[in-house]
Amino acid sequence: MKSGLSRALCVAGLGALLIATAGPGFAQQADREIVLGAIVPSSGPFAEWGRANTVTLQMIEKQINGGGGINGAKLRIAILDDATKPAQATNNLRKLAGDDKALAVAGPLTSSAAEVTFPVANEMKIVATSQASSKPGVAKLNRPWAFRNTIDEGVLGRTTVPYYKKSFNIKSVAIIFDAKDATAATVGSRIMPALMKENDIEVLNASDPLSFNTGDLDVSAQVTKMKALNPDGVVVSADYSQAVTVIREMKRQGMIKPVVGSTQLISSAILKAAPEIPIVAPATFYATMKGDKPEKFVNELQPLLRKTSGLPPEIEPSMYDANIYEIVSIYIDAIKATGVTGKPEDLETDRAKIRDYMAKLAGFPGLGGPIGFNDDGDAIKAFYILQGESGAWQSKVRGCSAAPGHPGC
Amino acid sequence: MMSTYYAGLLADVGILLLGALSVYIILATGQLSLGNAGFMGIGAYLTSYLTVTMGVPLTLALVIAAAASGAIGVIIGFPALRLRGIYLAMATLGFGEMVRSFFLNFDAMGGAGGFHGMRHVSLGYIWTWAAAILLLVAILEHSQIWLELRAVRDDETAAALVGLDTTTIKVGAFGFAAAVAAIAGGLFAHHHVYIEPGNFSFERSIDFVLAVILGGSTVGAGALVGALLLVMLPEHLRFLADWRFAVFGGLLIAMLLVRRQGILDRSLFRFFEFRRSA
Amino acid sequence: MLLQQLVNGLTLGAVYTLIALSFSLVMGILGVLNLAIAELFMLGGYFGFAAILAKLPLPVALLAGMAGAALVAAVIERVGYQPFRDAPVVTPMLSTLGFSIILQNVATNIWGSDPLQLPDEVFGARFTLGPVSASAMQLTIVGATVVLVALLAFVVQRTALGRALRAVAENRDVARLLGVSAGPLTLLAFMLSGALAGAAGVLIGLHYAAITPYIGVEIGLKAIAVMVVGGTGRIWGALIAGPLIGVAEVMTTAYGGSQIRDFVVYGLMIVILLLRPQGLLGGARTEQGPRV
Repeated sequence: MKSGLSRALCVAGLGALLIATAGPGFAQQADREIVLGAIVPSSGPFAEWGRANTVTLQMIEKQINGGGGINGAKLRIAILDDATKPAQATNNLRKLAGDDKALAVAGPLTSSAAEVTFPVANEMKIVATSQASSKPGVAKLNRPWAFRNTIDEGVLGRTTVPYYKKSFNIKSVAIIFDAKDATAATVGSRIMPALMKENDIEVLNASDPLSFNTGDLDVSAQVTKMKALNPDGVVVSADYSQAVTVIREMKRQGMIKPVVGSTQLISSAILKAAPEIPIVAPATFYATMKGDKPEKFVNELQPLLRKTSGLPPEIEPSMYDANIYEIVSIYIDAIKATGVTGKPEDLETDRAKIRDYMAKLAGFPGLGGPIGFNDDGDAIKAFYILQGESGAWQSKVRGCSAAPGHPGC
Repeated sequence: MMSTYYAGLLADVGILLLGALSVYIILATGQLSLGNAGFMGIGAYLTSYLTVTMGVPLTLALVIAAAASGAIGVIIGFPALRLRGIYLAMATLGFGEMVRSFFLNFDAMGGAGGFHGMRHVSLGYIWTWAAAILLLVAILEHSQIWLELRAVRDDETAAALVGLDTTTIKVGAFGFAAAVAAIAGGLFAHHHVYIEPGNFSFERSIDFVLAVILGGSTVGAGALVGALLLVMLPEHLRFLADWRFAVFGGLLIAMLLVRRQGILDRSLFRFFEFRRSA
Repeated sequence: MLLQQLVNGLTLGAVYTLIALSFSLVMGILGVLNLAIAELFMLGGYFGFAAILAKLPLPVALLAGMAGAALVAAVIERVGYQPFRDAPVVTPMLSTLGFSIILQNVATNIWGSDPLQLPDEVFGARFTLGPVSASAMQLTIVGATVVLVALLAFVVQRTALGRALRAVAENRDVARLLGVSAGPLTLLAFMLSGALAGAAGVLIGLHYAAITPYIGVEIGLKAIAVMVVGGTGRIWGALIAGPLIGVAEVMTTAYGGSQIRDFVVYGLMIVILLLRPQGLLGGARTEQGPRV
């Protein structure tokens, strides 16, 4: 009896779902539309970033359409969730480029997704710009359609490490990294050891790399081992949510040593882990940044983020929200500046126009300063070495990811 | 003309179908493998090494990788004879995690940083392989060998008593399955043109099993239905936004409740055969 | 450093023990791999956090986590196991996977995907003895694990309830003939298992003081390895296997290389499966392992 009822309910549920899925998808094309696409991870381990990105994109859409659209056309940003799964990100791009006829795509967020999605962007001849991928060389491998509004970690480290060395009088470090995270592992096993050598800092565990895996709760053994080496500082190469585990453990074992890392560390969550441990990391944006543009951005976005369900009530705009905001702003600027029509018959030429605009871009007014792209497809923009202490990020050094005198800086 | 979006999804279906078939073949002997992503990983890395570093043509590389993975499958199959049911399942789980951990530390092929340089293959190429192996399994299903497999599944002692070589059958099934999973891996690598150890995790092994059980574990074609469902369903649940995967999980349970034997089963086929003859 | 690493290994081992027991209760009695246990552990962590943030004392938080996880386990038993009790074991395993997907999604929607952190270590007191230093929470974890295992062993080995559970584990049909009604007992087994996972979640959550909706995934797979090493049929097996794997992991990190740690753990599991399929202490009946 009971199972009969539950079966009937299941069948009814399945039926309702099929009807519901068949319903939308046939939106009528009333006005002329300019379509942009976005790939964000709204489910899975990075859900919070993806959802905040979504709010940011919807804010831009509303602002643009409220101000009369682009060249008289309505802006529509088609946002797809890749669930932090690289294979889904590739299909998202195929959908945005093939079905939605997007002119350009913002995303995907992670380097693992970018690695497999950028080749598809080249195949389909559509610009894709990642808002967070910073694993070295990912855009470079996929020229000419792949871009990243981020700076290669190797470039950032060149400014971060000397500052770290000088401020904390560092002569030796221990390195720990997340072996399962491609970006973190590359930074931890290749980039950071090389940078330490350049700066005459001894890596005490050079012959014995210390790592853990994404999702590990317990890193006590690794931290005990680092503590026994007694370094002046610690390199933590991991995504901030994993780094929190390491920093908490350091605090628990009484290892109060300054931490340095990559952009992956930047978040407000990590500052809560152990306020007494100073953290040094590079960023192109942070929520307490000074200046008209960033302050306006934060003032507009923060209330929207905070009233969105599924996001924590104390959330602040992240660097990736700023990056995706800039990416879409650049696309819109490209559309306005290069006479993109948005008509179906011009799709190919429109996409090529956006690509050419991106490749030549210099001095686009971004939130933290002018933005351009180098030959590798990575951003030329200002960055800041931040120091997190007592729960807040402070900007210490301003750097730029290009040769001095470049208009992008 | 099919949209490239659907073409991309269908490529995923073809690869998942091969993975699911590899689980199906082992399941036919009454054994559950939770580690076939390990064989897939071996196939992916080996095929990519052969095409990128050695310049071997893809088809040949796939055949070599399948043979090598099949040999590893046979080697794994022998100790596995000592284990039954859920214990074997857990040993294969351990195997899968060991393979992933191995590639994570295999710096010669990028380690955690992943491996590049493969050339993209067409949807047609993926489906040629998928259809050929599905056909092969379908032919096998109507052969003496399959009767023997099922005899081993139903009652191993009795099968041995009537003179069946249960060792060869079980080990052979492991080897064949490992070869099929390796082809899935090789095609995966050349579809996405980038691989990293995280692609071949426990989650992937579970996906294979899920496709077989949802589609129907008594007929090879069930794997096809299951693979289609697993790839397409999450795409069609996008309108649910933040609740997409919760509903997906719920539907999964609901489908098992409604048809625990899977969508396709033998009685369904018999029903159609009966209709045709009538 | 060796002694300190032993302390680290024992803490980790205690956690593994609790989750492994949670797996083995359902596995040993019903032959089912409940994949949602990793998420029950995660839920226990969140419930415990909520209780501590509401300024409730630790024992209350522990009970809250246990009760919450046990309730969810009860739902899993009714919907995800009971209808499949005579199906091949792979079917309930996949239905519990469905619950695991649902619980991860729900937790992400409620608490977010960022790590939820306690403002400061709530139980930050430390005890130092020579070169070794342990926190109050570490001692609590080890102590609570021993007490919970002893309690469980007592229930299973000495009480009428335990005898009935073991009878069902031995042979469901015979147990029914003897007048043991299996339905309520399987529900109880699931709830006990859920309570253990919940307890582990509370203790770990408070110790590491940072949890995410995905913390169960890795530790769940490791706990399966611990269960296998200890043997699914013996409760005390997990009490030995947990610390064994915990110490093996920590020692691999300390003296070998942290990269090969997982390789060692799963390798150990496979070796034990092949050499002593019944687990270190014996008791499991692999020769008639359930049909898949």
